[in-house]
Amino acid sequence: MATTGAQQAQVLQEAQRKGNIRGRLKLAAILVAVLVFYVVSWRLAQIDPAKLVNGLPKLGYWLSQAWPPKLDELPLFAERIAETMAMAAIGTTIATLLALPMAVLASRNITPFPRLYYPARWFLNALRGIDSFVFALLFVAAVGLGPFAGVLGIALHTWGSAAKFFADHIENAQLGPLEAVRTTGAGRNTAIVFALLPDILPVLLSTTLFWWEFNVRASTVLGVVGAGGIGMELKNSMDLLDFSRLFTIIALILVVVTVLDQLSGWLRRRLV
Amino acid sequence: MSDTNLLFEVRGASKSFDGRAAIVDVSFSAHRGEFVAVLGSSGAGKTTLFRCLAGLLPMDAGSAHLNGRDVAAFTGRERRHIAVVFQQFNLVSRLSALQNVLAGRLGYVPAWRGWLRRFTRADELFALECLERVGLLAQAMQRADTLSGGQQQRVAIARALAQRPDVIIADEPVASLDPRIGAGILELLRSICHAEADGVAVICSLHQPHFARQYADRVVGMTGGRIVVDMPAAAFDDNALRQVYGHDTDSSDPSQSPLQLSTQEAALA
Repeated sequence: MATTGAQQAQVLQEAQRKGNIRGRLKLAAILVAVLVFYVVSWRLAQIDPAKLVNGLPKLGYWLSQAWPPKLDELPLFAERIAETMAMAAIGTTIATLLALPMAVLASRNITPFPRLYYPARWFLNALRGIDSFVFALLFVAAVGLGPFAGVLGIALHTWGSAAKFFADHIENAQLGPLEAVRTTGAGRNTAIVFALLPDILPVLLSTTLFWWEFNVRASTVLGVVGAGGIGMELKNSMDLLDFSRLFTIIALILVVVTVLDQLSGWLRRRLV
Repeated sequence: MSDTNLLFEVRGASKSFDGRAAIVDVSFSAHRGEFVAVLGSSGAGKTTLFRCLAGLLPMDAGSAHLNGRDVAAFTGRERRHIAVVFQQFNLVSRLSALQNVLAGRLGYVPAWRGWLRRFTRADELFALECLERVGLLAQAMQRADTLSGGQQQRVAIARALAQRPDVIIADEPVASLDPRIGAGILELLRSICHAEADGVAVICSLHQPHFARQYADRVVGMTGGRIVVDMPAAAFDDNALRQVYGHDTDSSDPSQSPLQLSTQEAALA
């Protein structure tokens, strides 16, 4: 009696499952490679639990110094935090505005200059690969100490991230409406603004909010390299070993970041 | 040249992809006020032909002339003379029906109006009139993606009307709709085609031969990228049908089989 197609397929599948020695070898090789990777990483990272155990009492002592918080400098801290948020807001906004035309250039499906597609992508990857902290270091040297250097650092790094994100979004977008609007006699850019922008605008606004929030967190450390904001006071406290001041600032940052996180989350839910 | 009603003329259009011919030496014409249905099974080259006619794809050889002018020489704005209706409607989903219809004015207005979506009162009124004509005035402010498929296609047709086109090219406009809704769309296209004072032509590809018989003035049939039938719809009989679809039509897909549509076919098979 002839077997059915389904029975044959089952036999074939079972044979494949049992006899797949090459597959098993491959799996073993992958496991070994992963293991080696972690052993080497452990060594390179100089993991030393003993050091942590010895250091913990120090941390505990500092923590015990944290109370009571230093509130007499609150106006200064508030000003510095406002500075941090302003840096993040301006930097993120500049980045988003620059990211829009760059995203069009870096989208394979709609770029007006296909030859510039890869250069555009490389450029964005370079911006993304260099942290705003590193950019800020350079700009502090170039334009001097202060928040402006931080704004430039944030703007450049976020420009890369935002443009890449928008470009990926555009590359996945349905191009039918764009094509349809083109056939009405609209110019290329008009068609992009008319047919594509309405669909990516909510995503654009919501991710811009997200980056602003992210950059507020990131820019708390920018002050450490002299690029303005609350990070400057953070570094001063650490240099003076003034732990109650240090923890007051950390607590303040935590409060602000949490409030901002909730706010931007709420706004983003309303947008999408 | 003696034919003053001749509007749109395709001559020797050919297009191939990677050496595989999609359309070969296609020639036909459309007159003012004429509804031309293009029939053919999947892969017969209908979509390639329509994309060439709509200027979305350059032809390898041949030409299309609108009012005696080569379409390939059209500037961007002149593309407004040829309106396109798509199978997937292709509306901007987050814009209102009215805004989508106003897109049909982009070939007339300065670019900044398109960027800001600010149109003149006259253009808005005209867009509303177009919506009224397709029976969707009440839905003007509704977001396009909240409309049903049939309504979306009506908005797309209103967008085409807003272009004040000479010819409307509709690529499988009813293939994504159920037959009753599809019939309404074809009825609408036919009324536009026959009602305009100076007459637009509608060139419409279809899967269903009975729709072609019912709504078209003329039927052009394609097989393997070539035109095999070009005749008045009234003369399009089962014989012509077989010329387009061949004898052994794949009846496993009833939606694409012309055989189900005529009982004589079954008797002949």
